[in-house]
Amino acid sequence: MRINGQVYNLGLDNRTSLLDALRDHVGLTGTKKGCDHGQCGACTVLIDGKRVLSCLSFAVMNEGREVTTVEGLASADDSLHPMQQAFIDNDAFQCGYCTPGQIMSAIGCISEGHAGSEDDIREYMSGNLCRCAAYPNIVAAILQARDEMRRA
Amino acid sequence: MNQAAPAPKENMGNPIPRVDAGLKVTGQAGYPADLAVANVAYGVLATSNIAKGRISALRLDKARAMPGVLDIVSVGDMDGVDKPKFGNTGASSIGPLHDRTIFHDGQIIALVVAETFEAAEEGAMQISADYTQETPSASFDSAGAEMEPAAGKSPLFKEDVNAGDFEAAYSTAAVKIDQTYSTPTQHHNPIELFSTTAMWQGDKLTIYEPSQNVTGWKIELARQLNIDPVNVRIVSPYIGGAFGSKGPMTARTAIVAVAARRVRRPVRCVVSRMQAFNTQTYRAETRHRIRIGAGKDGRITAFAHEGWEVTSRPDPYVVGGTSATGRMYDYGSVLTRVSLVHADRNTPGYMRSPPETPYVYALENAMDEMAVALGMDPVQFRRINEPQKEPIGGKPFSSRSLINCYDQAAEAFGWSTRDPAVGSMRDGDWLVGMGCATAIYPTAAAPCAARVRLTADGQVRVQCGSHEIGTGVRTVAAQMAAERLGVDIDKVAVEMGDSALPPAPVSGGSISTASVCSAVLKACEAVREKLFVAAAGNDGPLAGSGNAKLDMTNEKVVTETGKSAKLADVFKAMQIGAIEEYAEFAPNGSSPEALKKLYAGQAEFHGGDQDKDSVKYAFGAEFVEVRINSYTREIRVPRMVGAFAAGRIMNTRTARSQLMGGMIWGIGQALHEATEIDQRHARYVNRDLQDYLVPVNADIKAVDVILVPEVDHEVNPAGVKGLGELGNVGTAAAVASAVYHATGRRIRDLPIRIDDLIT
Amino acid sequence: MRPFVFERPTNISAAVALVSSFADGRAPTQADVQFIAGGTNLADYMKLGVARPRRLVDLNDLSEPALRQIRISDGTIRFGALVRMGEAADRGDVKRHCPLLAESLKFAASAQIRNMASLAGNVLQRTRCEYFRETSWPCNKRVPGSGCAAMEGLNRQHAVLGTSDACIATYHGDFAQALIALDAVVDVEGRHGTRQIRFAKLHQLPGDTPDVETDLAADEVITAINVPFSEWSRRSRYLKIRDRESYAFALASAAVALDMDGDTVRQARIALGGVATVPWRARLAEEALVGKRLDQSAAETAADAAFAEAKPRRHNEFKVPLGKRTLVRALIETRDMKV
Ligand SMILES: Cc1cc2nc3c(=O)[nH]c(=O)nc-3n(C[C@H](O)[C@H](O)[C@H](O)COP(=O)(O)OP(=O)(O)OC[C@H]3O[C@@H](n4cnc5c(N)ncnc54)[C@H](O)[C@@H]3O)c2cc1C
Ligand code: SF4
Ligand code: FES
Ligand code: FES
Repeated sequence: MRINGQVYNLGLDNRTSLLDALRDHVGLTGTKKGCDHGQCGACTVLIDGKRVLSCLSFAVMNEGREVTTVEGLASADDSLHPMQQAFIDNDAFQCGYCTPGQIMSAIGCISEGHAGSEDDIREYMSGNLCRCAAYPNIVAAILQARDEMRRA
Repeated sequence: MNQAAPAPKENMGNPIPRVDAGLKVTGQAGYPADLAVANVAYGVLATSNIAKGRISALRLDKARAMPGVLDIVSVGDMDGVDKPKFGNTGASSIGPLHDRTIFHDGQIIALVVAETFEAAEEGAMQISADYTQETPSASFDSAGAEMEPAAGKSPLFKEDVNAGDFEAAYSTAAVKIDQTYSTPTQHHNPIELFSTTAMWQGDKLTIYEPSQNVTGWKIELARQLNIDPVNVRIVSPYIGGAFGSKGPMTARTAIVAVAARRVRRPVRCVVSRMQAFNTQTYRAETRHRIRIGAGKDGRITAFAHEGWEVTSRPDPYVVGGTSATGRMYDYGSVLTRVSLVHADRNTPGYMRSPPETPYVYALENAMDEMAVALGMDPVQFRRINEPQKEPIGGKPFSSRSLINCYDQAAEAFGWSTRDPAVGSMRDGDWLVGMGCATAIYPTAAAPCAARVRLTADGQVRVQCGSHEIGTGVRTVAAQMAAERLGVDIDKVAVEMGDSALPPAPVSGGSISTASVCSAVLKACEAVREKLFVAAAGNDGPLAGSGNAKLDMTNEKVVTETGKSAKLADVFKAMQIGAIEEYAEFAPNGSSPEALKKLYAGQAEFHGGDQDKDSVKYAFGAEFVEVRINSYTREIRVPRMVGAFAAGRIMNTRTARSQLMGGMIWGIGQALHEATEIDQRHARYVNRDLQDYLVPVNADIKAVDVILVPEVDHEVNPAGVKGLGELGNVGTAAAVASAVYHATGRRIRDLPIRIDDLIT
Repeated sequence: MRPFVFERPTNISAAVALVSSFADGRAPTQADVQFIAGGTNLADYMKLGVARPRRLVDLNDLSEPALRQIRISDGTIRFGALVRMGEAADRGDVKRHCPLLAESLKFAASAQIRNMASLAGNVLQRTRCEYFRETSWPCNKRVPGSGCAAMEGLNRQHAVLGTSDACIATYHGDFAQALIALDAVVDVEGRHGTRQIRFAKLHQLPGDTPDVETDLAADEVITAINVPFSEWSRRSRYLKIRDRESYAFALASAAVALDMDGDTVRQARIALGGVATVPWRARLAEEALVGKRLDQSAAETAADAAFAEAKPRRHNEFKVPLGKRTLVRALIETRDMKV
């Protein structure tokens, strides 16, 4: 499995979810566990560029795939991804726990072409719960990042 | 500046981005279950599936035999450990592994410790128990539930407040209502899962656990484990949402500590979402009977609020919101009574605006009903009953900007466009309704300590054992220090969430900003004082400025007349490299023991209705628009406006976010949230985020937060009223009011769902 | 979770062989072996201890390209079994020919789940009955003969159509409603070769054996779903009513396709979700509309027919009026579609 561009040979229990593999075995704890049953979106990562829930995927099923987590977003010079900056600018979180999942999902949302309007963003970001309820700010952040990413 | 960063008005601080924002968007903020621990073993709980009875046999053999299982801590393994205490820091008095009695469903019966999470989880699944079962009482109407008066059962609820002769006034009132309202069981469900990681080094114990009260937990955990508190450290640098759920410590913390001692290695237990419903606290269901009598002119002459609340069998948890509702308006007479109903349930606990959310919901829904009965505009009805003094003790409000809030919110919302006739507003297939309600939350503060260090190069370190639960307290503490010490905020580092730091009170009751800022302010004043004395002293760079008023800005000490000295030069004159000051803040009216109690983890709250001279509350007014499909009756909230006044606003960005989050919580309370109880078995049935619904992004459209300027020097030195809990008070009543306006249906039991409107 | 052996076959026959060879000629059961595609249903139930297979056969490495393709030809849309929900929902030609199919996918679950979940897995998803999900409750579906906790318990989300004395669990999927309305056919391959199953025959009513959910044997893999369409299926839509705006299962839904001759219904296809134990074709409602001018009252008559046999329980009585109104609204909205 490649994670953020690096190859890992993990030798895990078949039962280990991709989420637990990332957190407990690779030490990438940016990806969060909020329910472990596909109901909150906190564990969202990109697999081969698509946003998915790492809690509902067994790690063994991802052999040979490319996983991107929040730790893999910032560029080599450590400058933030436009989505990360947009989340800061728009105060798109409070406790910050759902945030890595929101950011990964938001990036997926834009690349899928589902960030055309505010209503689209709301609908296609509804798989990421935010109990602090930063939703309006999340939508604003995605609009900002979308436009910046288009320009770039 | 964008929407998230409103321009500060009078008495408001700048919308500085959160100081920990960079860590949060990169995944580097370490929540307790993220912190790396070498050689950690994994713990998984096994829980009961009955609500009342005794364990007659516990079958652990299968689990013990599982590959990877290291140990099982179960009933009888808590020798030498004291039972938890119910109170400020303890969630419940139930010590689940201390004896075989089952008090509630989902009670911990064992902790399985294994090499891997997978092995521990399968081990826990293999544990079974035989019980001698008794029929449990699930809630209010269950056989066997025991009712008692709430007054005096909790230090936070001493008495039922009363004023005047309610019965006489009510019986002669020209217009009156007498209605019952209810709110359901609700769970906080922060997105972060609850967890405990315990590590022993010799006789020193470190706990990583999300906590809103590290100092209190340190003391309570040491008491349970019979060890010296100096040997216990609670670490909780970031908290993934709390809302009250991480205020009291649960029985699990000591159990995991015992397990770690037994297996001689660190143990991490992350509790499943499902198990959290029963092993943590929650908001219990409430019922209310409200009677209001008024003259034809709309002046209220009689108000009675009776409340009933569920709690566990052993613990008298009380919320008792009548002390706020009884002081809300200029009632001629007041009668209140709160009763507790003990059932076979886990002990409830604080959840965002514990008393106000249910009680003010009932009051405000009743106020709306009363306005309808009087044929009066609901805003006007509140205006008519706006008090000069609170009706119970006749004390003034330290400040009260409610009408101002109503005016500003009504204007922004476009209340004047509302046609008051029921069912009169429509947009295609959608019925439109508009409603409003009042928000109120008591303003309190508690003793707090802080240490501030300023070095010659202008770096500042603030240390305070408070908790960043998402409120932005880390940011406002940095802002306060930056402002007082005249340095850029980037130069301020704030350490929080560790019981090794100067003690702070529990981060609950919306007291954190006021308490922490007051302590930081005090420490900063002491630093300034030292610098000023040195700067103006004979050998100082500003020698000869005499008693002129000094200030700090741009890393300089400046005089009123425009002279200035660089920080570095003042330090040079003092021949030191750093000034460090430790300050203890205690609010006015604190008892002589207040500070001692702070160190003992028992913060004393002051403010609200407790003070002698005045009562202290923050207020707001909320307006919502609902749309209800005329065929299928689903209810949506496309628009809401809230105006709030809460004294000094430290940071308009974090303030707005909190109030907005609160209002959205209010939508959840109004339309979505309810923990369903199987009444036959006293068991929760929807223990997950698929069936316990909270709003998703698509549910929330326009949310407009107006920060209304307010100056209140009386509340505390920082002039700050808390606002973390204000936003979600009243919202549900505003929704109920709008639903009535759209449909003519008065829904009194939350949540309001399709079921209520379809027939 | 019970430990399991993990297999990753690279073609369909290898997958079938893996599940057939497993039990020495004895027909394998779900406890022996299960296929896994997106895992969004199965992994969830394995974590809950509801599903405890000893072997998992991962379908994601199967190399047959058709498994991942959507092919449109001769009035049939053929969805490969491994096509992801999200992809199918976003396909322009699917949306154009048959909006109902795309909408039933778009309004299901969340974007992340739709990126993971396969279409075959989707139609085979198991009920979300709370008592089924938690192993500590009696449940005839999970443990035959143990009783049904929902019957006298909390049953707000349960079914009012197709129930039995043994089980009232709702079939929660959305896509299946579109498929049953459009008379889809499923291609299956197993140790006894290939066969086709009419979608309407795929799911089994609970009856006395709620544990038997489909007509598939444990060794049979779905390879494709074929959906016939025609010019008129452009006039089709999926209306889903739920407690919150998104990321929630249906309280009631209606899949509707109308063949109209002016204002008059030539042919109607109607299926109902959120209210029945299996994907539910409302044939009586369809018949009630044929040859009628589709106005409010005709729609109401059809809706009454659809729910004539409804058997509500204590907490789901509202599903009868809600189900009817959902259908009425869907019919009117479909009638008014500009195609
Ligand atoms: C929080 C949440 C919300 C959801 N909301 C909705 C919703 O609103 N509407 C909706 O329709 N669905 C919803 N779902 C369900 C989701 O759509 C299904 O879980 C998903 O479609 C299943 O597809 P999968 O590929 O992941 O199946 P898997 O989990 O991989 O498999 C499911 C079952 O199908 C079997 N299987 C899979 N592929 C094949 C095959 N080719 N041949 C034979 N057997 C096979 C497996 O053995 C297993 O028994 C929701 C799920 C979650 C977790
Ligand atoms: S309704 Fe069906 S699935 Fe639910 S408990 Fe009853 S038997 Fe089990
Ligand atoms: S942890 Fe994966 S969706 Fe909640
Ligand atoms: S920021 Fe706290 S859950 Fe989203």
